[in-house]
This record gives sequence, structure tokens and C-alpha cells, in this order.
Amino acid sequence: MGNLRTGHLVEGALWLTLCLFLYHYSFEFDRSIEIYKFGASAWPRTIILLMAIAAIGQLLHHWKYGDATSSNLISAAMDDGSEEAAHEAHHESLRWYLSTFALLCIPFVYMRVPDWIAGWMNAGSTTLHILRLVIAAILIGVFISQARRNMVGAILTLPLFFAALLEDMGFYSLAPFFILGVMYLFHESRPKPMIAIMALIYGLLMLLFVKVLFVGLPVGNIHPFYDIGSWVVTVLQ
Amino acid sequence: MDAFSNFLTGTITLFSDPLGIAIFIGGVLGGMLFGAIPGVSMLTLAAILLPFTAHLSAEHGIMLFSVIYCTGVYGGAITAILFNIPGAPENAPTAFDGYPMTQKGQAGKAVGAAVMCSAIGGTVSCIIMMLATAAIADWAISAFGPPEIFALVFFGLAVAASVGAKTFWKGWLSILIGLMVAVVGLDPVGGIARYDFEMPYLLAGIHFIPTILGFFAVSEIFVQAEKKATGAFVAPKIGVEFPSLKELLAHKVAVVRSIFIGFFCGILPGIGATLAAFMGYNEAVRWSKKPEEFGKGKLEGVISSETANNAATGAAMIPLLALGLPGGALTAMMVGVFQMHDMEPGPLVFINSADLVWVVFAAMFFANLSIIFIGFLETKTIINLLRIPFQFLAPMILLLATVGAYAVRGLTIDVVVMFLAGVIGFFLRRSGYSVAGIVLGLILGKIGEQTFAQAMQMLHFEWSGFFHRPIALGLLVIGFATLAGSIYGAFFKTKPPPPTSETPA
Repeated sequence: MGNLRTGHLVEGALWLTLCLFLYHYSFEFDRSIEIYKFGASAWPRTIILLMAIAAIGQLLHHWKYGDATSSNLISAAMDDGSEEAAHEAHHESLRWYLSTFALLCIPFVYMRVPDWIAGWMNAGSTTLHILRLVIAAILIGVFISQARRNMVGAILTLPLFFAALLEDMGFYSLAPFFILGVMYLFHESRPKPMIAIMALIYGLLMLLFVKVLFVGLPVGNIHPFYDIGSWVVTVLQ
Repeated sequence: MDAFSNFLTGTITLFSDPLGIAIFIGGVLGGMLFGAIPGVSMLTLAAILLPFTAHLSAEHGIMLFSVIYCTGVYGGAITAILFNIPGAPENAPTAFDGYPMTQKGQAGKAVGAAVMCSAIGGTVSCIIMMLATAAIADWAISAFGPPEIFALVFFGLAVAASVGAKTFWKGWLSILIGLMVAVVGLDPVGGIARYDFEMPYLLAGIHFIPTILGFFAVSEIFVQAEKKATGAFVAPKIGVEFPSLKELLAHKVAVVRSIFIGFFCGILPGIGATLAAFMGYNEAVRWSKKPEEFGKGKLEGVISSETANNAATGAAMIPLLALGLPGGALTAMMVGVFQMHDMEPGPLVFINSADLVWVVFAAMFFANLSIIFIGFLETKTIINLLRIPFQFLAPMILLLATVGAYAVRGLTIDVVVMFLAGVIGFFLRRSGYSVAGIVLGLILGKIGEQTFAQAMQMLHFEWSGFFHRPIALGLLVIGFATLAGSIYGAFFKTKPPPPTSETPA
């Protein structure tokens, strides 16, 4: 097995699985074009082929050299220490990956599940909004309970969760909680500086983008978030 | 003399119009500021301003974007040096040595060198551009068809894949991810939907601004979060010490070399400043007597990269104006400004709107000069950003990125895409892949496929057609030679791993 480790095999398998999936999906648009004999699928399939070759090349590199870096000086210069940090934090274990993956599923659950349930119940828009609020509350609870155990997984999830909630709850209502959440996950726990910095960042952003540049940010769809967002915009503009 | 009188006319037109002056000053300050604030870039500012240019004249709109381009490329160097967050892909090589210099307490010296060299590179590029525009435009129009542009894109990708990632293979995989992301949406010839997964959002393709923000700014926050969690996070040391004239003169060869590299890379459509910066840096390493010092905080690395990328800004306007081909993300937005005013960039602009061209050139010249004066003043203020603890800076960066991603199209899904790109970028970075490679693949992927299709139609689907076009053939040969050299290096020149206690599988 040369210098191959389990991680290298998993990495290679992921790449080749991705190639297979993309190749399989390319049949969905494998149609001819009258003025272009290669059709719509030739270009992506060439990329997929090159990707598979590069993945195999990478696997051979690992087999021969293990984790050795290319002799290219610029490649070496690009090393920002992120690999080393991951290694030192023991964030390379299967358990850590599974825990992070579970946390990362939270935003996608919010984006999909309320619509599925509403569709199954044949519910109207009011019920859908209530459903969204209930599911959001449950998911926030799950997120908070898990965040302490995997802080890095939580910091990866929080912005995605914020983005998933943005359409319904609006930028104006969510931003203060998001600022506090990020600060907490970066190990800041002193309440007074947290509140002061939150007010400063929120105030500056509102002033620059809402008052000066008139950038329309999402106000939300659900009461009372929509009312709060609209009120902030009315006051500032 | 024609060029000089045209330049004078452009200067008089620019400075005799109060609105023009206000837009010029706003563009200079805005480009520098947005380039320098971590998490946002000149692209964010340009994206926010793009809808508003409909209310300006075409002359003012294009001038504003070109000024933002010049000063924003410089501004992006500040974040690359201070936070390891390149404001744009063209600032990525600046971070290679700039950030280690910051960690060694030499941030002031690195930023000072970036100010001087950005101004020198950009100003000289503008002068050459003004003197040679007509001849270069004529040459480019006659010599560069779709086969040449495709060959150029291939050459650019072959070079870019060889740098930036932990190994050559990871470099190529990074580029290929970018190319694959660029495939999503409608195909450029038949308009057939590809990899849309029946989601209407994906039909329009994945926008490059949220992707760039995600891969560069957001993933950097995540990496810093992990370092903080492990105690590996090191707050950069602060120091304000500009390089002396003697130090700069000691690097005069690097400056001149980078101006030439930057100008010739910038003039090549579709590649521009990014390749210029990488090649400027690469050549500095190759010509150096102490190449092992690069990547560890060598001033020459910053000088070479920053001179080259700013030297490309002036030249990048030529393919845009002469051929209608954007050299990068910001010049692509300029195409949007033209279209909003019912104009198409191309050879006719030089004939029908010569005034516009010369006002833009004059504005770019003065914008580059102003980097020296405003840049020095601004830098002293910006360096103080380092005093802000990262736990307070991180939410600010993430929210600015959110506004930037949302402002592009007013879609919350763009914000989701940005943060998703950040998560993917985080995992790829810690596995040794190159986020700069992904972004380059994304930007050049669309141009590459489109020009390949046009080239094949033009050559009646005969591959041998490339052999009858010397420029295309030359670029393809150099591209393949680069590739072959990198593959050879990957298999035979890699250093064997140090002995570890881990048991192989």
C-alpha cells in the first residue's frame, strides 16, 4: 500500500464517486445541437475525465510520497497552516466529521422540511409560517445544545443557518443575534463588550447600507419579523 | 503627439466636470476602502454600484468602474498582507509573502511596498497603454480570434494549476472544480440546461461574486475559528515602517520585470491581472539567488506581485474596449455598464466614443498616481484594524460579505451559496487544495467553453485548424509543455515524506 493512509483512500473514493455521479447526471442533458456536433455534454464530460485522471494521479502521489508537498515554492507558500490546525485539534476523526455533518444538516432541514410538511398537510400560507417558526425554534434549540460540543462545526453551521432563515425572518431582525452568536463561538463571553460591539456593528451597517447606499436588504416574510424589518427601513430612510 | 493631445483633452474633460471629479474621487476612495476592508472587495462595491450606474452617463459609469479597478487592486493587497484575505484573485500571490511579513511585525513595510509598486506599475502601464493603444488594438483585433483566446485560456489554466495547491494534482483538481461549477446553467451554444437539478435558480448559473466571497473571505474566518479553537491562532504583530528608497531601488529589476509581465498578461483577454500577479511572483522566485526565502516574508514577493497586477489594470482595458472581452470579474461588470447604456464594448468604441476612451484612460492614470498620496495616508489608518480582536472583526466581515452577496441580485439563495462555498473552501483548504484555483477556473470556464465552441465551428470541427494559426499553436504548445513539466515534477521531483510514526493503511 506504499504510503497510503485511510484518509487518502477516502479522499480518492470521494473524487471518483463525484466523477461517476456527474457523468451519470450528464445523460440528462446529452442532447445534440444542430450547429455544434459535440453537443452540450462534451465539455463537462471532458472536465469529468480530467478530474478522474487527476484524482487517480493524486492517489498515486499519496501512494508514492504520502503527504509530501510539491517541490513548487509557490505551493509551499500557499500553506496557511489550516491543515496543521485541523490535525492539532483532532478534527480529522470520523466522529468529528459526523458531528459536523449533522450540524451542517440543520440549515437544510429548515429549507426543506416545513414545505414538505405543509405540502403533506395541504396547508395554507399562515399554517406554513407557523410551521416555519416552530421548526426554526426546534432547530435553534438543537443547534445551541450541540454547539458547545463542536465549536468549529457550529461556526461552520451558524452562517448557513443565518442565510437559511434570512428569507423568512429578515436581515434586520436576525443580524444582532448572528453577531452575538459569532462572537460567542469565537470564545467571547463577556456580556458588556458583546452587546456594545453588536450595537456598533449593527449601527454601522445600517448607516452605511440602509441610510447612505439605500441597499434593499431582506425584511422577512413572517410576522413579527417583517414588521420589525419594515420599521427599521422606514425609520432610517 | 496624438496620444498626448488626446490625453490632455481627456484630462480637461475629466477635471472640468464637477460631477466627473466627484465620481473620480468617490471611486478612488471607495476602491481603496472596499479593497482594504476584510470580507468585502472592490467587486462588492462594484456590484452594489452597478444598478446605480444606469443613472449616470456611459462615460461616468465606465470611468467610475475603471478608477475602482485601479485603486481596488491596490486596496486588495492590504487585506492580503494584513489578514491573508486577498481582496481579489490578483492579490493572492501578494499574500504569499505579505502575510508572513505581517506575522513577523513588518506589515507596514509590506503595505508601503505595495503602495509604491502598485502606483508605479499602474502608472507606467497607463502610459504604455496610451502610447500604444491604437497599434495594440489593431494587432489584437486581427490576431486574436476564438482559437487564440481558447488557447490563451488553456495556457493560463495550465500555469495556474501548477501553483497554489499542495501538489500539482490538487492544483488541477481545484481548477477542475471551478470549471465544473462554471458548467452549471445554460450551455453557451444551444441553451440546454446542465446540472440545474430542476432548480430555477441554477438555470442562470452560479454567480461568481458569492462564490469568490465564500471561497476567500468566509473560508478564512472558518480557518481562523479552527486556529482559535486549537490555540493556533496568532494575532498578527503590528508595525508601521515603510520601506526606504534604498530598499525599493534594490528591487528595481523586479519592478521593471513585473511591469513587462503585468502589461503583457493584462493585455491577454480573459486572464489579465490574476495571471500577471502569479507570473510576476513566479518569475521573481525563478530569478532569485535565494528562492528558498520566498513564502517566508520576502519583500521582493510583495513588490513583484503588486507591480505586476497593477501593471495589468491598464492593459486589461484593451481587450475589453477593443474586443469586448473582459479580463476578469470587474471588467466583466463593465460590460454590464456598457449594456445598460445600449452600447457594446468592441472596436467601434474607439471610433464612435473616442472621448469616452480617453476620459477613462486619463482617470486611470490619475487614479494610479493618487494611490501614492492617498494610499500612504489610508494605510496608516487601516493598519490599526489589526488592533481589533478577531472575535469582533469576524461578525463584521461575515455581515459585510452577506450584504455584498445579496446586493448582486437581491437573492437570499446567493447568501446561502456564499456560505456553502465558504464551508467547501474550508474543507478544501485544510486538505491542501487551492481556492484561488477554483475561482480562476470558475471565471475562465465560461470564456473557455464559449471560445472553444466558436473556434471549432470556425475551424469546421478540424483539430488541425489550430496548426495553421501560429499564435494559438504557440500558446497550446507552451501550455502543454507547462503541463508536462508539472507532471514530471509531480512524479520525480517531489521530496519524499519525513518518517512518521503513523501506520500506513
